[in-house]
Amino acid sequence: MTNLAEQELIDVGDMDVVAFNDFAAEQGWSDGLPLYLPTEQAVLRMVETVRGDNRPFAPISPRQVLPTLHGLAANAVMAGCRPEYFPAVTAALRAVLDPDYNLHGTLATTHPCAPMLMVNGPARKNLGINCGSNCFGQGWRANAAIGRALALILLNVGGAKPGEMDRATQGSPAKYSYCFGENEEESPWEPYHVRRGFAASDSVVTAMSAEPPHNINDHGSTSGEGLLTTISNTVGQPGANTIYGRGPLFVVLGPEHAQTLHRDGFTIETMQEEIWRRSRVHVSKVSKENQESYAGFNRPREGDWYPLTPSPADIHIAVAGGAGKHSAFIASFGGTKASAVRIAP
Amino acid sequence: MRIYNPGFALAAAGGEKIDLKPVDWKSDAIALFSNSKPNARELLDGLKAKLSGLRTVTNIDYVAKNSASQPAPSDLIEKVAANYRGALLAIAD
Repeated sequence: MTNLAEQELIDVGDMDVVAFNDFAAEQGWSDGLPLYLPTEQAVLRMVETVRGDNRPFAPISPRQVLPTLHGLAANAVMAGCRPEYFPAVTAALRAVLDPDYNLHGTLATTHPCAPMLMVNGPARKNLGINCGSNCFGQGWRANAAIGRALALILLNVGGAKPGEMDRATQGSPAKYSYCFGENEEESPWEPYHVRRGFAASDSVVTAMSAEPPHNINDHGSTSGEGLLTTISNTVGQPGANTIYGRGPLFVVLGPEHAQTLHRDGFTIETMQEEIWRRSRVHVSKVSKENQESYAGFNRPREGDWYPLTPSPADIHIAVAGGAGKHSAFIASFGGTKASAVRIAP
Repeated sequence: MRIYNPGFALAAAGGEKIDLKPVDWKSDAIALFSNSKPNARELLDGLKAKLSGLRTVTNIDYVAKNSASQPAPSDLIEKVAANYRGALLAIAD
């Protein structure tokens, strides 16, 4: 019997999309949603879009194998990507292969983390990535397909099979797809990628191993001070993985909240400082057993407080979404970093 | 019709299997390796207690990663490989 895993090209005969989806499920290639057929032509069209980018990829965990462009493109096709999305998919893969991202740990953990992707720069408009209303939700092919392509790559090339190498206790819907763009046009501050040292004209994918977005509702506060109180107290919760894993988190401000904070004089740095200080978890909210456990992890509290990130700079602030008085915070796995990679032109 | 295999990949260099030397679990020095998750130490304590009925335990040591969420540093793995004939890993959670 032929081992399909060793064949880059597979002759499947005369197979329609329904039969292919049954076949893909049998092979373990499916995330449960319908897949496009990774035909020879479709994959080659995808690969052509990254021909100028010859940088090698690091081995992908947990299988520790080297991907081929055709194998990656097959996943992008199956996810529903248009060919022009593929450079963003390969940039996202490079971001999660950054050793500081800790791909193996983030895939094998019982925590429900998924690779959150935020896109900055011209690619948002060129690819049609939603940065505005319902940016974390459904309805936009680029958001859905780019995030899904990375998830399928990690499943099929990386080998992070649910219940096997992906040991998530509950997982989350973010594991299907998790991609949005920063609403740079409605942000009162410099775009996120520019603050990280990229040119405004660069297109950049930032990846963080993250929980799904948690809503921060505040319709009542009309001051930046009031908003920061709500934001910080929503972020600061004792069930966070980062209380002992220590890692970054994102605060994604809705444009209306961002405008209020900016009007009241808050900068990115002052918001980071304030959220870091105010989101620390008071010892009274942490069980005795956990206090002992965290001390054993060499994560002693600071006075009566447990900080959720190593430093204020680990609180990443971006602006996304549309009209309304909502923001979001996105908690990370903990032992990870937000890794940013430029999309090859 | 031909399709590209979405699971296709190449073996990374350095992934060759090596022959392991046999371990004499009744006498060789062994490491009790914790993944630094809650209760890993308790699991290893139980294991050490059980082993004490079968062998001397003066050459059994505890080793732990410095982070539950990050991989063991390579120098720690090399140190274990250099100093012990076997290691028992507690994957607690």
